[in-house]
Amino acid sequence: MSTLEILVVGVIAIVGVGLYGLLITRNLIKVVVALQILVKGALIALVAAGDASGQVGLSQSLAITVIVADTVVGVVGLALAVQTKRLLGTLDVDALSTLKG
Amino acid sequence: MTAFTWMIALPLLAAPVIYLIGRLVKPDGEALTRWAALIALGLTWIPFALAASDLDAGGVQTYTLGTVSLRLDDLGLLLAALSLGLGTVVVFYSGPYMAADAGQEKYYASLVAMVGIMMGLGCASDLFNLWVWFEAMAIASYLLVAFYHEQPTSLEAGVKYLVQSAVGSVFVLLGIALVLSQTGTLDLTAIRAAAPESSVPLLAAGGLFLIGFGVKAALVPMHTWLPDAHSQAPSGISAMLSGVVIEAGLVALLRAISPLAGIGATWGELLMVFGAFNMLLGNLMALRQSQVKRLLAYSSLSHVGYMLLGLGIALYAQQAAGAEGGFFHMLTHGMMKGLAFLAAGALLYALHASMGDHGPLTISDLSGAAQKYPWAALGLSVAVLGLAGLPPLAGFMSKWQIFVAGFETKNGWIEALVLFAALNSVLSLAYYAPLVNALYRQKPSDTVLAGGPLPALMNVPLAVLGVAIVAVGVWPNLLNWLSGPAGHALIASFGF
Repeated sequence: MSTLEILVVGVIAIVGVGLYGLLITRNLIKVVVALQILVKGALIALVAAGDASGQVGLSQSLAITVIVADTVVGVVGLALAVQTKRLLGTLDVDALSTLKG
Repeated sequence: MTAFTWMIALPLLAAPVIYLIGRLVKPDGEALTRWAALIALGLTWIPFALAASDLDAGGVQTYTLGTVSLRLDDLGLLLAALSLGLGTVVVFYSGPYMAADAGQEKYYASLVAMVGIMMGLGCASDLFNLWVWFEAMAIASYLLVAFYHEQPTSLEAGVKYLVQSAVGSVFVLLGIALVLSQTGTLDLTAIRAAAPESSVPLLAAGGLFLIGFGVKAALVPMHTWLPDAHSQAPSGISAMLSGVVIEAGLVALLRAISPLAGIGATWGELLMVFGAFNMLLGNLMALRQSQVKRLLAYSSLSHVGYMLLGLGIALYAQQAAGAEGGFFHMLTHGMMKGLAFLAAGALLYALHASMGDHGPLTISDLSGAAQKYPWAALGLSVAVLGLAGLPPLAGFMSKWQIFVAGFETKNGWIEALVLFAALNSVLSLAYYAPLVNALYRQKPSDTVLAGGPLPALMNVPLAVLGVAIVAVGVWPNLLNWLSGPAGHALIASFGF
C-alpha cells in the first residue's frame, strides 16, 4: 500500500467513527466531540489531497482555516450544551426533542 | 479597495463596533445599537450602488488581496441586493420588536455581520473562500437561532441546526479535497479548465457538494432542521433565514457545482428532482401545521422547490430563461416570506411576547385579528396570497416566468413537472387561505381581545414590503435588472 492509499483508508475510518458517534451518542458533549472527530477526518483528506496534487501550501492553509472555524463551531456547540444543562439539568439529547411535526 | 469590497467590508467592520457600543456605552448603550446597525447598513447602500454601476459599466469586478481573490458578477450582485435589502428592513423592524430583550448588542452585531458575510459569499471565486464564507454564515446563524437561550425550544433548534450544518460542511470539505486531488486547483475557472471529460472522483465531489450545501439550502431530505430553526428564532431572524440564508446556500451550491458542469451533465435533472420533492413535501407538511411560523417555515421548503425547478430547467436546456425565473422567484420569495414572517412576528409580539409569554402563535390565535391589528393582518394576507401565487402579486409573476421557461423547452417530462408545480401552487392555497380566513373573522378570539398594542413603527417595514410586492406584481420588469443578468451569469459560469 502506498502512503496515499493508507491516508484514504484512514480518512474513511475517521469519518466513519465520527458519523457512528453522532448516531449512537446521547450526550451533548459527546455529540460535539463526534463532530470534532468528523472534521479531523476532513482535515487529513485535505492535506492528503494537497500532497497528491502538489499543492501542499494551498491545502495546508485551508486546513489551518478549517481548524479555526471548526473550533468556533465546537465552542458554540459546547455553549449550547452548558445552557441545556443549566436549564434542563441534563445533557441527554432526548430532553431536547419537544419540537415535532 | 474597490466599491464592492467596501460593500462587504463595511458591515463586517461595523459588527464589532456595534457590539462594543452596546457593552461600553453607559447607561443605554443597548438602545443605541439598533441605530448603529441601521446606520451601518444604510451606509452600505452607497458602495452597493457604486458596485452595481461599476458592474453595469465594466463587467465582472475582481479584487485580489495576496492570494485571496474576490469576484463580483451579476449573481453576486443579486445575492447582495437580497441580503442588504431584507437586512435593512429587518434591522428597522427589530428596533421595536427586540426592545425589551436582553443582549441586543449581540443580536445586532451578529445580524449585521451575517449580511456582510452573505455579500462576501456571493463574491467568492474559489472553493476555499466559498467554504470560509459559508462556515462564517453558518456560525452567525447558529448564534441568532439560539438567541432566546433561556428557552429549551430555542436551544433544541440551535443544537439540531448546528449538528446538521456542521456535518454538511464536513461533506463539503471532503468534496473540496476530492476536487483538489484531481485538478490541483481550487479556483472555479481553473477547475473547469483542468477537469477531465469524465471522472468518478469529481462526480463524487459534486454529490458531496449537493449534500453539504443542500443541508443549508434545505433540499429534501436534508431539511429536518429548518422548521425548528425558522420557527424558534426571533421573527426578524426567521425572515432573514427563510428569505436570504437558504438562498445563499443555494447560490453556494450553484457556485460549487458550476465547474463540474462538463462531467456527466446531469446537474439540471438532479436539481429538478430535488425541486419536485421539495415542493411536494413542503406543501404536505405545511398542511398539517397549527403554528403560524412553522407553517411558513415549511412553505419555504416548497418555494426552494420552485427555485430549483427554474434553475434545473436552465441547466438542462442550457438557456438562461429558467434561471432568470428562478432568480426572480428568489427575489420575490425573499420579499414575500420576509413580510410573512415580519407580520406574523408583529402579531406574535402583540398577542404573546409583549405579555412576557414566549409560546408559539397558533392559527386559532389569529381569529379576528384584523379588527384590532388591521395593518399587520393586511401585511400577512398580502404575503401569503403572494406566496400562493395569486395575480397580480409578485409571486404569480415569478412562478409564471419559471413555468413559461419550462414549456419553452418542448420536453414532455419538464412540461409534466411544470404542471406538477402549478398543482402544488394550487395545493398551497389549502393552507394559506385558512390563515387569511382566520384573520378576517367577525368575532375576535380571546387571545386577540387580551392582546397588547402594536408599536406604530413596526408597521413601517410591513408597509414597505407590502407595497414592493404589489408593485413588482404589477410591473415585473422592476427587478429585471437584477434577475436577468444573474441568469445569464449562471449559464456562463457553467460554460454553456
